Amino acid sequence: MAVEKDLPHTCSQGEKGQCPNEARRDFLKYSSILTAFAFMPNMAVKAADLKLEEKLVSAFEKVNVTLNINGKKRKLSIEPRTTLLDLLREQLNLTGTKKGCDYGQCGACTVHVDGQRVLSCLSLAAMQDGKKITTIEGLADGHELHPMQAAFIKHDGFQCGYCTPGQIMSAVACIREGHADSDDEIREYMSGNICRCGAYPNIVNAIKEVKNGGQKV
Amino acid sequence: MKDYFFQDSVGKPMDRVDGRQKVTGAAKYSAEYELPNMTHAVLVGSIIAKGRIKSMDTKKAENAPGVLAVLYHQNAPKVPGYVQAAHPSEPKPVGQPLRAFYDDKVYFNGQPVAVVVADTLERAMYAAHLVKVTYEEEKHATDFTKNVSKAFLPTAAQRNPKHPLNDYVRGKKDAYKTADIKIEQEYVIPTEVHNPMELQSIVAHWEANDKLTVYDKTQAVIGTQNAFAKDWDIPVENVKVIATFVGGAFGNGLHTWPHETAAIMAAKKVNRPVKLVLTREQMFTMVGYRPHAWQKVGMSATPDGKITAITHEAIGQTSSYEEFTESTLQQTRMMYTSPNVTTRYRILPLDVSTPIWMRGPGEATGAFALESALDEMAHVIGMDPLEFRMRNHTDRDPEKDLPWSTKYLKEAMQMGAERIGWSKRPNIPGTLKNGEWLVGYGMGVGTFGANRGRAKVRAVLHDDGTVVLQCATTDIGPGTGTAMVQIAAQNLGLAPEKIIFELGSSLYPPSPSQGGSATVASVGSAVHAACKALQQRLATLVADNDAGFKGATADKLTFDNGYLSLAATPAARVSFADVLKRQKLKEIEVTEESKPGDERTKYSMYSYSVHFAEVHVHPLTGQIKVAKIVSCADAGTIVNTKTAGNQMIGGAVGGIGMALTEGTVMDHRFGRYVTKDLAEYHVPVHADAPAIDVFFVNKPDLINNPNGTKGIGEIAIIGVAPAIANAVFNATGKRIRELPITPDKLI
Amino acid sequence: MNQFQYVQPAKSKAAIDTVTKDQTAMFIAGGTNLLDLMKRGIVTPEKLVDINKLPLKKIQKENGAVRIGALALNGETAEDKLVLEKHPLLSQALNAGASAQLRNMATVGGNMLQRTRCPYFYDTALPCNKREPGTGCGALEGYNRMHAIFGHSEKCIAVHPSDMSVALAALDATVLVSGPKGDRKIPFADFHRLPGDTPHIETNLQKGELILAVDLPENPYTKNIHYLKIRDRASYAFALISVAAALDLDGSNIRSARLAMGGVAHKPWRLTEAENFLAGKPATETTFRQAADLAMRGAKAFEHNKFKLKLGPNAIVQALKNAAGVA
Repeated sequence: MAVEKDLPHTCSQGEKGQCPNEARRDFLKYSSILTAFAFMPNMAVKAADLKLEEKLVSAFEKVNVTLNINGKKRKLSIEPRTTLLDLLREQLNLTGTKKGCDYGQCGACTVHVDGQRVLSCLSLAAMQDGKKITTIEGLADGHELHPMQAAFIKHDGFQCGYCTPGQIMSAVACIREGHADSDDEIREYMSGNICRCGAYPNIVNAIKEVKNGGQKV
Repeated sequence: MKDYFFQDSVGKPMDRVDGRQKVTGAAKYSAEYELPNMTHAVLVGSIIAKGRIKSMDTKKAENAPGVLAVLYHQNAPKVPGYVQAAHPSEPKPVGQPLRAFYDDKVYFNGQPVAVVVADTLERAMYAAHLVKVTYEEEKHATDFTKNVSKAFLPTAAQRNPKHPLNDYVRGKKDAYKTADIKIEQEYVIPTEVHNPMELQSIVAHWEANDKLTVYDKTQAVIGTQNAFAKDWDIPVENVKVIATFVGGAFGNGLHTWPHETAAIMAAKKVNRPVKLVLTREQMFTMVGYRPHAWQKVGMSATPDGKITAITHEAIGQTSSYEEFTESTLQQTRMMYTSPNVTTRYRILPLDVSTPIWMRGPGEATGAFALESALDEMAHVIGMDPLEFRMRNHTDRDPEKDLPWSTKYLKEAMQMGAERIGWSKRPNIPGTLKNGEWLVGYGMGVGTFGANRGRAKVRAVLHDDGTVVLQCATTDIGPGTGTAMVQIAAQNLGLAPEKIIFELGSSLYPPSPSQGGSATVASVGSAVHAACKALQQRLATLVADNDAGFKGATADKLTFDNGYLSLAATPAARVSFADVLKRQKLKEIEVTEESKPGDERTKYSMYSYSVHFAEVHVHPLTGQIKVAKIVSCADAGTIVNTKTAGNQMIGGAVGGIGMALTEGTVMDHRFGRYVTKDLAEYHVPVHADAPAIDVFFVNKPDLINNPNGTKGIGEIAIIGVAPAIANAVFNATGKRIRELPITPDKLI
Repeated sequence: MNQFQYVQPAKSKAAIDTVTKDQTAMFIAGGTNLLDLMKRGIVTPEKLVDINKLPLKKIQKENGAVRIGALALNGETAEDKLVLEKHPLLSQALNAGASAQLRNMATVGGNMLQRTRCPYFYDTALPCNKREPGTGCGALEGYNRMHAIFGHSEKCIAVHPSDMSVALAALDATVLVSGPKGDRKIPFADFHRLPGDTPHIETNLQKGELILAVDLPENPYTKNIHYLKIRDRASYAFALISVAAALDLDGSNIRSARLAMGGVAHKPWRLTEAENFLAGKPATETTFRQAADLAMRGAKAFEHNKFKLKLGPNAIVQALKNAAGVA
């Protein structure tokens, strides 16, 4: 679980009601025991086998990060193994970013990190400390849709809608990168975003319209 | 009463009503509902294809941080319905859907054998790796070719001689064999996997001991509700199924699957809501697929291009525990005039999971063989394949000996030929070039039954003049909600912006599952009926209460843009809202059911499509580019040309996949798939999809239903693969009869 | 994914020390392959040493060579002015790999180190000597359509999946590494290994060694170059066969050539014999075909990849034609 720490004196989601800092102190007491397994395989399992307290293992494993997500600064304490995708979807309730494969093979989880399109399923959240993350929820300007969102609606650039957030984040980047100068170039540079419904030609049309319209993306 | 149907709203390329939700990330798919105390479940799959679970070591998993339960056949909560289904007093069913954690039997590689529940997703995923299962392995049979002699006539057909899956003979059996001009060829398609972008997922929540809510990825809200009510032996109304947004399905949401029950069991066990999302790999074995199929077509024709006989045989793969069947041979029975037609359908049970209908199901498989064979025969007799099809066109269903309700396939073929530039097609394959690339053109025809089922719609007119319609159908992507709003706008005389269509909940009136291209015909007819009933109610209200409308009946009134008026006295005009307000009514509500009548005994009803492809093949490297596709559909009234056009485009892209890229491979030594992710199973990407032009005949079929619609979901893909395969032959002179046509087959 | 400790050192030395001392520690840069493997339980490091804070991102001229930092991203490297000007073949190869998103994450160093995409390696339920030495090669008598035709052993017939590395092989790159015993340079040809009896050891990097950069020496291959990738779909797929071809032409004669193939061996497969043959010959399809036939000597295919024996030489011919502009 991520622990939001925007409010320094509350601690609503700590493991078993305990504040992470307290847990950390607990951990320090046991640190010498843990060090002993540091070189053993599958440390977490060993800890479980020895019936060490769960919270202790968690505290040991968590890292603190500050992420700027859609313009909002979030201080989080997370397990290093948590991917950016799972952090967004399972802990921050930002479910616009989709899981389609979890292995970097479909593009549904595309977000922008410091302005670049990346796959959040193959990004560890812990490695994004201090970075600016934009998801589909952060693309529109309030109620005003981003031009790419509007163009996707106009050109019907989707059917089921599941790959759509990834397609849109990728499409915006595609134009920003300067890779939307011809149909074939758009197709090539959008090929990392699979649409099983097959709305590809409509997506290309949406991107072309935004590109040709010269709107700021 | 004026009929509004062919004006105004219907037929317009209206933007999707849920477009904003889809482009902003606000649309919630089943795994995206957040409930208090949510837990996460991950399935463990078997690693043998057949045998028994000898032992299950769950200690490590159970002791791992955050793990709440590990369930398997020995400790999973009992599903009362599982026991009922096996009751000896019941007639033996044709197979038995796989029951989650029912016993120690393993029927296929990747079968769910345990589920791990933990407080976070990461913990559940990790702990799933810690479950150690030992098996007693038995010899498995997964190789289609090696086991093909075990194929048999489906039990349903064996039991009932009138079952359509029985052998069919029109004229003389296997008459092609004795003809002068004949072909006989075999065609193979591999196992293809639906692979919708959304992973199959479910959130299961027992709100009380006998009250279950599931947010489930399904194409069948009511079917799922009934299935779980039966499984858990609780009243149907105690099961709530929510499927507001479905991230593609293409057929794999037409069955209930073990993972759903696993999640429900887990929720029962931990007494908290459980979220279960399949992995992409699990999507290959746990939620069906298009079965591997072998087909043989024998065909004879006269030198002037009349087909004299067709024999079409098909064998489709199924599992050892369920008999899956599909209408692979239907198109052969009814599409062409041939006086002699023989079809034989068999199924081959293997130690694999059960298939399920995948877009354009058996028909797409069958059309690959039939439409390829037509092209082969046209080549043999030296006739243009378009002309060959025209000469064998039939204006009456030769199978049922009934007139078609409507059929404009010839028009569609002419339209498409013109748009693709069919005149450029070289008569001699391999003779047209564009630079280094060989160029070829091909065509394929598709058809699918214009089905319609029973559906019910509730419509509520509010005193602000807005209307809310509700139905338990889903929208897996075609734009069901949008089309229904348009049909309602048309039939009510109300702006679409004032209409909301709510779907995807078992709390709404029932509809059939969203499959078989029948949603617009079924639900659209119920919307039509509900709107007409609302108009009737409004007419009664004004006739009874408003002096200006005294004695008016609905058929004397004009309903337009939210107002009703008397044609004879235009001054008498009142808004729908005011009709209610004047009577101090907050709302009026109607619920109407619509179902097909006896028209199906008098007419034969199908949708039709014809697809044209231009392909470029590099002779040295075997690279294949589909340069253009033109798809034309004769599918009755097109409610929304934008969304329907998109659906046709999507079918063409699916057809490109079927023809060129898709197929999953099993290592039969292990009975286990070795291509089971989106890097190894090649779904077409942007760069594979050319410009795709779609045209609709757009003429209503009012025999089928009052809206004149027919389905397009299936015909969008049926016939595309052979169009491409035929174009490849035209480009290269190479006839590829086993899909997919990858570069290695063309060098 | 198993739990692990995460550290992000600011200095190379600290990073190297940690990975050297800790048997279970691994470097992570882009993570595009490592996380994939960890999710499937194929590798289970207990400590990840994030090297992204290390100053290894620059692409610059260095003693006449172009030096590409190990942490330069695939996407930015492909579009780097210096790379485009001096080594456009590398740019083409990079752009033929993965997707735009992955290229924005994957680093040059990580790309070299990516593991095979052999399905037996990726499935812990199936045998694989590379994943679990001694379990056997699943592909040898199994599904081997994507597999090697050169340099394979009975222990392993997997191929290296990188496109970038094929270009680096052709361009005579040198890999700069730093380790517990100091810095050293590894010629690209010696960087990756053939499977032999130890397919689980894929490179000649020692424990704790960190890639700092890749040097590409000045060469005349700036114009007549082509990276041809044949795959099962038009983009976003691994190569059935790929060819990096570079020609230095004097009119219609070949002064010198560079050729390497991907999708055919456990490492990027340099075609030196064919290169030598091409030098001094006219740039014609006939010459190219002769060179291709030379290149294919010694190739041995398996049940499902026999097509590579034909597609291989065809692809070489086509890549050379494209490079020479005689297509």
